[in-house]
Amino acid sequence: MRPFDYTTATSSADAARMVAADPNARFIAGGTTLVDLMKLEVETPDRLVDLNMLAEKEPALAQITELPDGGVRIGALVRNSDTAWNTTIKSRFPVLSEALLAGASGQIRNMATVGGNLLQRTRCWYFRDTAMPCNKREPGSGCSAIAGHNRMHAVLGTSSSCIATSPGDMPVAMAALGAVVRVRGASGERTIPITAFHVVPGAHPEKETVLRHGELITAVDIPALAYGQRSHYRKVRDRASYAFALASAAVVLDVQGGTVRNARIALGGVATKPWRSTDAERHLIGKRATPEVFRAAADVALAGAVPRGENAFKIELAKRTLVRALTTVAEMA
Amino acid sequence: MPELLTCASVGTLAPDFALTYADGRSITRHELRGRPAILAFYPRHWDPARAEQLAHFNAMVSAAPGVSAEVPLLADLDPFGEAAEQFGVCGEHAVFALDAEGVIRWSHVGALSAADVDELTDALKSRCLAPLGTTAPPDVVPTEGRDLLFQQTRRQFIATVLAAAVVLAATPVEAKAESVSGALTPKSVDAIPVTLNVNGRAVALTIEPRVTLLDALREYAGLTGTKKGCDHGQCGACTVHIDGRRQLSCLTFAVMHTNAKITTVEGLASGDTLHAMQAAFIKHDGFQCGYCTPGQLMSATALLREPCGTADADVKECMSGNICRCGAYPGIVAAIQEVRATSRG
Repeated sequence: MRPFDYTTATSSADAARMVAADPNARFIAGGTTLVDLMKLEVETPDRLVDLNMLAEKEPALAQITELPDGGVRIGALVRNSDTAWNTTIKSRFPVLSEALLAGASGQIRNMATVGGNLLQRTRCWYFRDTAMPCNKREPGSGCSAIAGHNRMHAVLGTSSSCIATSPGDMPVAMAALGAVVRVRGASGERTIPITAFHVVPGAHPEKETVLRHGELITAVDIPALAYGQRSHYRKVRDRASYAFALASAAVVLDVQGGTVRNARIALGGVATKPWRSTDAERHLIGKRATPEVFRAAADVALAGAVPRGENAFKIELAKRTLVRALTTVAEMA
Repeated sequence: MPELLTCASVGTLAPDFALTYADGRSITRHELRGRPAILAFYPRHWDPARAEQLAHFNAMVSAAPGVSAEVPLLADLDPFGEAAEQFGVCGEHAVFALDAEGVIRWSHVGALSAADVDELTDALKSRCLAPLGTTAPPDVVPTEGRDLLFQQTRRQFIATVLAAAVVLAATPVEAKAESVSGALTPKSVDAIPVTLNVNGRAVALTIEPRVTLLDALREYAGLTGTKKGCDHGQCGACTVHIDGRRQLSCLTFAVMHTNAKITTVEGLASGDTLHAMQAAFIKHDGFQCGYCTPGQLMSATALLREPCGTADADVKECMSGNICRCGAYPGIVAAIQEVRATSRG
């Protein structure tokens, strides 16, 4: 691993300033992605600004608070375990708790933070191997996955430059819930809807979010959602636990008298970013909650999918995963 | 640098070096002209048996049948030095045999085996002592008893090479320090004082920020109970408690935990009294080879404080971050369930 300078911040504004001032500085919180990638020399920061000490100075950064309108604010330093186990989140937004518990392992969930998880980097094996060309790691060097081994790669939101899958579970649930990311930068604070926070690769796969260098995530707001408790996260993987999604679906469904009044759908494991499918949602709203309707909605969700060979199976798998998740929520009492 | 390697390849004139020994003596290629020579680059402080090995190597080459004792000049050269760079050596063992004209007639990069030394002595006899353009061995009459001496030194050489390999395996810290100092580093960062609270004791270390908590515990604090499996957060062997919660020590830097209470597997038992989980692992055969066991134990003991469901399936899910290659899972689950039942009791 390359040597780096280690600094602690005295405030979130101070941390943002320190990173903004150094083009090769990075924030570190849980470190579960960053330390791994630093060992591989995929990430080579010159300076790390440790955010963990901020929890004492700015307690809101590490707390979950209920918002007056029924929403919830999750501080960026809250560990994934604490978000998953939080009783308010479990009762109001079970899909988020389930997504978190479906991700990683007990140890990693005790380390990983909400802010860091939004910035988790792809598991594409070519991205992680510095001996291989990769447009995301080294812009312009080419994509090894498009014509290479791509069983784990994305079928939605891809480009001719990159087909790397967005690996997270939590961001998928947050996309379905319409979460809002709060960030602090040199020019103050701003809020970004999660669906606009991550970007598809296009010609610049090295750019994964709209965050500017030095901008710090301070919290994620989950807006109030009356039918939020009628939600579910379904994840399909190569083994029963502790594996990344081959396909996953986060579903929030308002069914009244057998008719879908409202729906929120997001897919994971198959796209280059947490994939909210408003087309599939529109297809469902106003229709009867039947297997045929769910299947048609799944067809809509995957309509734009582009298989690249080994990953072709993901299209059907994602459809079935979504139908299963919709069925589960529709059957909730 | 490929061009350097090319210029120091067999059949080419040796680079126009000036060698400086540790004791201050120096010699240039011109001074060597007119007699064959052997240049041996030995990494310093790497191999604890280096001096002994070098002496045997020297004696063995001198005693080799068909090689006059006056012929070889052995140099214990710095493999990171200027001459090494000229010869395309980068911090490794390397041996070059030069003939009287200064042409490289044999080379070997990497640790020497006895077979390599045999090859070297053959090269000395057939090529270095022969005039350029011929491969005929020179008319040298072996000294009385030289064969026997060669065989003896050869055995001693093998013994020291083997001993060195054992010592190297037993002293990873020294080996690591050497490899780090020889690595190409774009940035130099000093080691800093870091005090960790491990198992209730303050442990003062001087480490670089890039030292993971796992390496700090194992390589600096001498607490080798915590195991390094994958070193990438995929196996759970390195699990420790940080402020009572199970975490992966391989995916975090030690410097980030100066204010935390760290518990390793060494801190589970109270004196000779095992933690209930340790006793249950023994009772239920929760291990075979034992390498993952410290991580399993740390995960299992932390699990007692987590909202994990009561079924076996819940335990399996909660323990999925700890891989056991021997497949002792049924025993592990049984041990955890027994301790949970008792503590709930």
